[in-house]
Amino acid sequence: MDIDRLIKKDEVHRDVYVSEEVFSLEMDRIFGSAWIYVGHDSQIPNPGDYWTTRIGLQSVVMTRGKRDEINIFYNRCPHKGARIAEEGCGHTNGLFRCPYHAWTFNLDGKLRGVPYLDGYQDTSFDLTDPRFSLRKVARVAAYRGFVFASLAEDGAEFEDFLAGVKSSLDNFCDRAPEGTVSVAGGVFRVVQRSNWKIFFENLNDTGHPIATHESSYRAARQYSEEVLDGELPFELHIIDGNGAPPKFWSDLDLHAFDYGHSYMTAIFNAPDDPLSQQYFASLAAKVGEDRAEDILAVNRHNTIIYPSCSPHTSFQQWRVIRPLSVDRTLVEIFTFRLDGAPDELLQRTFTYSNVVNSPSSIVMTDDVHVYAECQKGLSTQGGDWVSQHRNAGQDQPYSGSEGGLIGVGTSELPIRNQFRAWHEYMSEGSGQSVSPEAS
Amino acid sequence: MTSVNPQPINSASDISYEMVCHFLYREARLLDQRKFTEWDNLFAEQGMYWIPLIEDQPDPINHLSLAYEDSMMRQVRINRLNHDRAWSQKPRSRTSHMVSAIVIEKICDETNRLVVGSAFQMAEWRSFGLRTFAGLYTHTLVVSDGHLKIGEKRVDLIDSGEAFEPIEVFI
Repeated sequence: MDIDRLIKKDEVHRDVYVSEEVFSLEMDRIFGSAWIYVGHDSQIPNPGDYWTTRIGLQSVVMTRGKRDEINIFYNRCPHKGARIAEEGCGHTNGLFRCPYHAWTFNLDGKLRGVPYLDGYQDTSFDLTDPRFSLRKVARVAAYRGFVFASLAEDGAEFEDFLAGVKSSLDNFCDRAPEGTVSVAGGVFRVVQRSNWKIFFENLNDTGHPIATHESSYRAARQYSEEVLDGELPFELHIIDGNGAPPKFWSDLDLHAFDYGHSYMTAIFNAPDDPLSQQYFASLAAKVGEDRAEDILAVNRHNTIIYPSCSPHTSFQQWRVIRPLSVDRTLVEIFTFRLDGAPDELLQRTFTYSNVVNSPSSIVMTDDVHVYAECQKGLSTQGGDWVSQHRNAGQDQPYSGSEGGLIGVGTSELPIRNQFRAWHEYMSEGSGQSVSPEAS
Repeated sequence: MTSVNPQPINSASDISYEMVCHFLYREARLLDQRKFTEWDNLFAEQGMYWIPLIEDQPDPINHLSLAYEDSMMRQVRINRLNHDRAWSQKPRSRTSHMVSAIVIEKICDETNRLVVGSAFQMAEWRSFGLRTFAGLYTHTLVVSDGHLKIGEKRVDLIDSGEAFEPIEVFI
């Protein structure tokens, strides 16, 4: 396939969203090689705990082994092919046992036992041959508890891959008095009838809220005016934010980095209420007031770790994007406890997620709708090219320590940046993508 | 509700099984008729609408919920459903509820409360087709100013942990 024909400097061909062939190639060249988020180590606190999820279309199991190490292997019994662990979290006492013929495996995936072993004499079967053990994924790496894996032996080093957005993961954890975070409260799962890239593009797209979310911010304002004399409690404050005027959005900063990553600065702050003060005190008690202020001064909305996840550092949300097919995407939303912070702060995290990220969110539903409308429109012959022109050519190298590019808040820089990495991966490169604007 | 409760209700034990059934059927019918404000008026002042995320979820505060809405959040949802630019409501949701197996599980005269269990199915038509929700309702009903009101409506979906397309109307 000629990948180059699909990408221009500020436009992409609709085939990147609707072609089965492109999707299949993405699963191979992007999800088959990039560092993909698998899970957080707090989901498997003890040896024998496991978390079953997907990397691209591959079912994988993340386990904690006897020496506390994290293993990730394909969820496929080497005997007949049955999956050996069900989806979600579970625990096993020291070994995995296939439900079909009871082959057993150690927590690191090594074959331990096979029934009717006598019958394997004089065959090419060998208990110690790795091909009869659970197959490990090629590379596993973690940063501050966030576990990623790559299905390819070769490719970018994890440290290099993460470099641009490492500061977001640091801030995610530094906000905890103990310096660590833990998954808490369950997981929301939302299905979108659209290509996975459409969701990624939306995460740092500040051009859409005023139009897309009009019904929800008007609904919140109507209630505030009719019942609360204009006051906006936390839940309404979150919803109202999408209706901020155009200048508010263009005054934000967008930062873009190699490998398709980016982040935007915060849309709104946590309220200055007794809970926030109590939380600040708990953080300051551990790290000192100055450091606590510095940590909370880093205030970001969505960070994008392309092509698999998006942390929201200020409200402890973590969205994982799992492509299902060319026009179906699963988004999983995790919430995190800041270890050592007051319980009420976690409750506010849940409230935030209930309003914004639940399948029943009155905000997200209009997003999911317009994504599906894009998918339908792009499937027509109404035009081959998709515009990414907004503020193209105007992004500047960022002089701060993180490097990368900076653009005005309403630039389509993050989208162009994602497609630079996409182009690099799809051309069988490492995903590292030097922007034409920077060069 | 005057047609259902011609006599003022003084305590939980004044409430007959038939009145409870009628209350639940009427509640479901108001939703299916999109009379959301009338539906919302069935709730007591502090009444909550709750869809837990997991089976046997003990509490709505220390865990995520598919929905946990007080009067404010229900009214904001209603405002949105009535807004011209609720894009995902074009065409708007149409629903049909079936409520059955209604059982009065508990009556408490001291607090004037009843706990009522039932099974339900809700079919919903959206632009992407027809889908079904199924599960158990647990209504905590309270007697307030001579009327039956909803203290809490708990909706336990049998597939609450499933991946969903957006849920917009009340179940």
